[in-house]
Amino acid sequence: MTAGRRGALRRAGTRLVRSVFRVGWPRSRAERAAAMLSSLVLHVHPTRVRARVLSPSTTLGLGLVSFYLFALLTVTGLALMLYYVPHPDAAYRSMKDIEYATTFGMFIRNAHRWAAHGMVAVVFLHMCRVFFTGAYKRPREFNWVVGVFLLLLTLALSFTGYLLPWDQLAFWAITVGTSIVAYAPLVGEPLRYLLLGGYEIGQAALLRFYVLHCVVLPLAMAALVALHFWRVRKDGGIALPPGPARRVLVWPHLLFRELIVLVLVLVVVHVAALVANAPLEEIADATRTPNPAKAPWYFLGLQELVHYGAVLGGVVVPAAIVLALLALPYVDTRPGGAGVWFARERRLANAIFSALALAVVALTVVGTFFRGPNWAWVWPWAP
Amino acid sequence: MNPRASRRRFVVTAGTSGLAAGSLGLLAALARFAVPDVLYEAPRRIPVGRPEEFPPESVTLLTDHRVFVFRTPEGFYAVSAVCTHLGCNVGHEAGRGFACPCHGSTFDEEGAVTSGPAAWPLARFALSLSRRGELVVDTRRTVDAGFRLRA
Repeated sequence: MTAGRRGALRRAGTRLVRSVFRVGWPRSRAERAAAMLSSLVLHVHPTRVRARVLSPSTTLGLGLVSFYLFALLTVTGLALMLYYVPHPDAAYRSMKDIEYATTFGMFIRNAHRWAAHGMVAVVFLHMCRVFFTGAYKRPREFNWVVGVFLLLLTLALSFTGYLLPWDQLAFWAITVGTSIVAYAPLVGEPLRYLLLGGYEIGQAALLRFYVLHCVVLPLAMAALVALHFWRVRKDGGIALPPGPARRVLVWPHLLFRELIVLVLVLVVVHVAALVANAPLEEIADATRTPNPAKAPWYFLGLQELVHYGAVLGGVVVPAAIVLALLALPYVDTRPGGAGVWFARERRLANAIFSALALAVVALTVVGTFFRGPNWAWVWPWAP
Repeated sequence: MNPRASRRRFVVTAGTSGLAAGSLGLLAALARFAVPDVLYEAPRRIPVGRPEEFPPESVTLLTDHRVFVFRTPEGFYAVSAVCTHLGCNVGHEAGRGFACPCHGSTFDEEGAVTSGPAAWPLARFALSLSRRGELVVDTRRTVDAGFRLRA
């Protein structure tokens, strides 16, 4: 090949790459800023952020981890949809097929399961972080509200996914969960009927949960996540204490750290999926109740409360918690302490929130580990 | 007022309200559509057999329908096996009443709560005799605790 031909070929190649990436691999500071601005994905970030943003202790990266887990759940969920059949006659068998007759099926199901559980936990921790750093204060009130809805969506996604394996665990957890729904005054029974598409957990309920789990709720989640991210930018970036305004380029400093977090998330989910299998019990049987029948673990705090009083635990407490969370940024309007962990001037607010968060955790732990047959108290280490 | 401006305002108002009404109507239609009118569930009027098939002074659990049928000297009655707390299936022990395995609610022979988190007694379903002389449980109709079917 002549030198002239080679040059023409290289130029054509460059033209092709440049038609996709306008800036190319950035080398100068100006190009790094331009690369951020010219990419659909990257322009979620500004070109420069305050150096403080890079410190892991600022946010613990929990929002980012939640997002990565959601992305991972989308990918593994789409894969599972290739084999899963949402019908009571076929669902359980298709789960067995995924586990035992599909290459990497067990691994992908495990990854989906553990990432889902992890997402519930991490979204909760993210909310705690935002509270303890006072990051819901003006001008971020509305983004806190969006976050509360994202937490509810996360729970709803996890709950609707719980029924799909159509095993005893799924069937009775959803029996308990939808019975809690029915306790809501006036709307409870009709809501349960609408959710199940009938009076029983059967074909209609499975299909509804499937559509909610695979289409409706993920779309709502994606839309709200976009709003949540966009508002972070529009509200002036993540909440930081007043301090040195030194700024660093997002490319490479922040992007590199985000990549490390992605690697960590992938490693943790992979290891979890390799060492622990997602549970799959016997096929769902409406005539045989396991003892005890437990809701998914993140609702066991509620179930523990429902044990003391159905209306209290099933309606009053959850409604009060959600309303309090939604109202919080509009009630606590004092500007002090935003962006600082456990700020002195927010001692009272932090104490109240810590007590509530600890109560949620304690009730969940009790419901998960300390309740046995007939919901009687058991010691988890007892034989 | 400028007639053009007032005409424009009329068109804008009519247009937006039409759009709003149409959108709300569509949403309402979608919501109503999601409420099923036909259910492919087991029938809720269940023929359970001839009265003489139930021994005198007996309790029979119809597993698939989650209903207990009692035969007493005063007549027949049917008690739901679905716990009123969170929907688990209760078990029955003659003379000691019902117990729910999930959260420890217990009920007496009449289905009234004796302990545990359940807030309401077990449902009593209407019983009738079909023209062919079969007992029929109707789980759509609940009756009060005094109900007995003489058969």
